[in-house]
Amino acid sequence: MLFVRKNIMAFTGLFLCIFLVVHLGGNLILLLPSETAHGLYNSYSAKLGGNIFIRVVSIFLYLSILLHTVYAALITSKNNKSKGKKYLVNHTIESSSWTSQNMGLLGFSILIFILIHLSNFWWRVKLGYGEIVPLDSNGLKDVYLITTELFKNPYYVFIYVIFIIPLSMHIKHGFSSAFKTLGLYNLNYIRKVSIIGNMFSIIILIGFSVIPVAVYLRGL
Amino acid sequence: MRVTFKIWRQESNSDDGRFVEYEVDNISEEMSFLEALDSLNESLVQQGKGVIAFDHDCREGICGQCGVFINGRANGPHSNTTTCQLHMRSFKEGEVIVVEPWRAKAFPVIKDLVVDRSSFDRIIQSGGFITAKTGTAPEANSILVGKDIADSAMDMAACIGCGACVATCKNSSAALFTSAKINHLNILPQGKTESSKRVLEMTERMELEDFGHCSFTGACEIECPENISISNIAKMNFDLLKAKLFKG
Repeated sequence: MLFVRKNIMAFTGLFLCIFLVVHLGGNLILLLPSETAHGLYNSYSAKLGGNIFIRVVSIFLYLSILLHTVYAALITSKNNKSKGKKYLVNHTIESSSWTSQNMGLLGFSILIFILIHLSNFWWRVKLGYGEIVPLDSNGLKDVYLITTELFKNPYYVFIYVIFIIPLSMHIKHGFSSAFKTLGLYNLNYIRKVSIIGNMFSIIILIGFSVIPVAVYLRGL
Repeated sequence: MRVTFKIWRQESNSDDGRFVEYEVDNISEEMSFLEALDSLNESLVQQGKGVIAFDHDCREGICGQCGVFINGRANGPHSNTTTCQLHMRSFKEGEVIVVEPWRAKAFPVIKDLVVDRSSFDRIIQSGGFITAKTGTAPEANSILVGKDIADSAMDMAACIGCGACVATCKNSSAALFTSAKINHLNILPQGKTESSKRVLEMTERMELEDFGHCSFTGACEIECPENISISNIAKMNFDLLKAKLFKG
């Protein structure tokens, strides 16, 4: 059971990493000049919603988030049961990184952010709850408008920038750990994968925090 | 040198246990940590009090018997050493030294700083051997082993089973120990034939013994007195995945 659980964590985690690449790539459209970005972003959103392949992948995406969360809870509960009495003094920071010791806490912050993020967009655009989504001049749902409206609010900009930090930290440890869980044992490859993981976490950090700030500054 | 030992005292497994402080001023910087405990125990005997129980045997870092949590680190402030290799010069004059037993559900406290590590023995018994006839030593050149393979197997076989990896792990996982014990056999031609069975049974035993999952924090390889690499755990995961996917 131990290994089945960890393998599920690794697979779903890496799948979510791939999703992040696509998600960041698509959202970089928002950094284009606003006239170009407006039309392009809306047609990109419409294509995502209409494509059968993307729909199938999105089911895997929801499932991955769910499994990653459920198995994290199962694993943490098993780990807590394995622990003995707490040490009076424990300097774990001298033997391992803070990030690696607090993946659960970081994951929980990410989950909270996902809920905020879904309630801002998915809830309204995809499920149709809340205010009706206006249409643009091409008759497509004006997701660009919703996005730019949201990031006129500096509190949201702040939330989106702050919550990317735990995500980036989670990836920094999780990416290379996932490969080790799946059995990548050659030290040379382990080193390369952890460099890729570090670079990936920095790209995610910068990429996702630049977008809301840029959209906010443009809207001023 | 004057220091204060704050030591975990526990009569038996059913006892709750508590910390007791001992001020000592008759130890020298040249003493090993265990000698300082010996000296403290001598004075306790003279006072007619019960001595502090702690495990030790060779006192030269090769048997894996000693091992306590000192000031928040397994085997004290230095990385990759045993407790017996630690000396009092590593501490400051007047320092409070907190000494605790290994904490893990799979390592119940027997008395004071002594824990029961027989869960490790049971993991070994479940597959940490090769099935071969005993008797006279076989001809050494009948099975050829490359130098790199032999060296690698020796690196993993160096594990002395002290339990520092479990003690320092946030999940009390025995992954480093178990992987070293699996891999040093699986890599050799003598052990390869039973590799799938071995990895399946030893990891199953590890789970039954109530050890936690591995989170790859890397703390174990920092504290391991024998420098066992964390890549061993990845190799164990690889072999286990292979055994689970292709068994039967």
